[in-house]
Amino acid sequence: MVKSKIITNALREKRTYLTEIESKQLIAEAGIGTTLIKLARSKEEAISISKEIGFPVVLKIHSPDVIHKSDVGGVKLGLKSEDEVGKAYDEIVASVKRSQPDARIEGVTVQNMARPGIEVIIGMTKDPQFGPVIMFGLGGILVEILKDVSFRIVPLTRRDAREMIREIKGYPLLEGYRGQEPADIAFLEDMILKVSDFVDRNPEIKELDLNPIFAYKDGALAVDARIILEAEGKV
Amino acid sequence: MSQDIKKKLDRVFNPRTVAVVGDKQMNNYMWLRNMTSFRGKAYSVQIDPNEIPGIEALGFDNYYSLLDIPEPIDYVIVAVPREVAPKIIADCIKKQVGGVTLFTAGFAETGTEDGIRLQKRITDMAKEAGLSLIGPNCMGIFNPKIGLRNGFNQYYGEGGPVGFVSQSGTHSIWFSLVGALHGIKISKSVSYGNAVVLDSTDYLEYLAQDEETKVIGMYIEGVKDGRRFFKLLREVTPKKPVLIWKGGQTEEGQRATASHTASLAESPVIWEALIKQCGAIKVDSLDEMVDVTKALLYLKPTTGNRVGLIAMTGGQSVVITDTFAKAGLRVPLLTEASYREFASFFNIIGSSYRNPLDISSNFGSVELLMRMVDILGRDENIDSVVLELSMAFLAIIRQRAEKFLDDLLDALTNFKDRSEKPFLTILIPGPEETAALETRARLVERGIACFPDFARGANALRKVIDYYCFHSTSGELSHGEKEL
Repeated sequence: MVKSKIITNALREKRTYLTEIESKQLIAEAGIGTTLIKLARSKEEAISISKEIGFPVVLKIHSPDVIHKSDVGGVKLGLKSEDEVGKAYDEIVASVKRSQPDARIEGVTVQNMARPGIEVIIGMTKDPQFGPVIMFGLGGILVEILKDVSFRIVPLTRRDAREMIREIKGYPLLEGYRGQEPADIAFLEDMILKVSDFVDRNPEIKELDLNPIFAYKDGALAVDARIILEAEGKV
Repeated sequence: MSQDIKKKLDRVFNPRTVAVVGDKQMNNYMWLRNMTSFRGKAYSVQIDPNEIPGIEALGFDNYYSLLDIPEPIDYVIVAVPREVAPKIIADCIKKQVGGVTLFTAGFAETGTEDGIRLQKRITDMAKEAGLSLIGPNCMGIFNPKIGLRNGFNQYYGEGGPVGFVSQSGTHSIWFSLVGALHGIKISKSVSYGNAVVLDSTDYLEYLAQDEETKVIGMYIEGVKDGRRFFKLLREVTPKKPVLIWKGGQTEEGQRATASHTASLAESPVIWEALIKQCGAIKVDSLDEMVDVTKALLYLKPTTGNRVGLIAMTGGQSVVITDTFAKAGLRVPLLTEASYREFASFFNIIGSSYRNPLDISSNFGSVELLMRMVDILGRDENIDSVVLELSMAFLAIIRQRAEKFLDDLLDALTNFKDRSEKPFLTILIPGPEETAALETRARLVERGIACFPDFARGANALRKVIDYYCFHSTSGELSHGEKEL
């Protein structure tokens, strides 16, 4: 198996945090569906990419130094026109400069606005004893406050993926609650197995976070992706 | 799985010669006393002239050094002060012994610089020489078949099918003793303490390949190589059930495991995931270890979760049903054929036969009881048959007919042997505790699974059903709704 260039490049540049573009490219290579994403280095470029992708779009700050983009005002959602994109570009750059003056700003990413679905998350962290562990949970407050998540050690079997989805307390939400659309659970199982396989093949990955994933009745899309690599010499 | 470990540990677990180094009066020569049942030849090594007469009085040949013993030694038990441990380990290496149990404590588990340094020294020595070192800070091996014991009141002469791997000496010895009261006999067990060379994974790998061992129980405070343990456990459980009791499930408990066996804190949620993923069985106490092991040994395997319940009185019929239902088991209605048969003889005044059965006044004779048990045994809606034996109730009937209990036990044994379905008895002592112990012993003798209360019986049944389901081809319950 040939290593992805994204990983080898980052390691050569001694970077452990992959950008959102790199992270999404990597998971796309692993067969996981994600939003379209392109880097705009100027306001004009952001507008032209938006037209190419189609409105509405999302703009996010692109900086190797910014990890939590929302916290520094680096994310603008649901931009419906060229004017809105141009204004959002300026606002993002100004806000990041204000909140994190030493951050290197390389531009802004433009992505299509995914249609909303049930928010779920798939994550991977490394347990000191058992190595890579996959976490599954419902997105938003359910994971943050209620810690309603399940874990399995990599590599996962189909049974593991099936059980870990059904194990969370919020599982009925995925089956369609009060007329809400159900989630495509078999598709989520596949997604979990793809993540398991991907991290199993790439021991350089230290942490992975697909949060949120929008689950639809026919598929699912990773809307945000964050990958952290092991520091050099740790693999 | 590695053949090497099998070969290496076979010599240690089945020694023909044993040496005990440093046993003393202060410990009442406990190691040598344990060795009085040993089938092979046991030697003592002791340099203290005050100790030697006592050792020789017990009938053991004493030597001043391991190296002086005139034949090869398969297994050594070392009970010397910790400062002397490196010297004895060096002798063991020179003597090319099969393996060593280092009973001596006072190493990394003390958290002191001295202890940590000494532990590293003996670890390095053993690893470099390829010495099979068990411990330190442990009780070592119990192999009843050859009379190799690590507790003086343990049985010997005949072993059983259960292997036990324990990071604690108390749990390994108590499991052997308490288990024996419940019909559970050990093939081989090991208490391994700080696990500096051989770890739980090695013992699991060995017992997985040991022909005498059919079921493996483990008490673990920490593992050294989690990945290897995970992969091995996944490989073993389809062949032999593995029960895991994890010590240190809370932050407070992890403080205790650190000072007990110098184990690192491990996430309880990851352990839970691990056990689930591997199709092992999670237990949380010695009693639960005993209950589920018993269910594995004495219940016919089933992947169905529908139980037929027989209680002796109305109140118990309610409680037994609640308890089994809470454990995730189903208590369904019986077939029409069963109901027709009950209607032909069952007196419903003060009793009921819907499922649960409240037999009360219908318990007139052993024949009548067995007729009811047999109906459940035949009923297609039922996967397991559970019978409450109320000790208080039995005592009253026994006053009327002395032979009653013997006849009942014979009839139950007969049913257990010919029934395809798991058959559990719940022997509730009530106020008749002494009589219950005596009756339990008679049930155990006959190989009838007997539990002291509904909850323990229900839990054990549920856990073995889950185990058989996990390893069945479909991975699901054979009847009824799927439950995780």
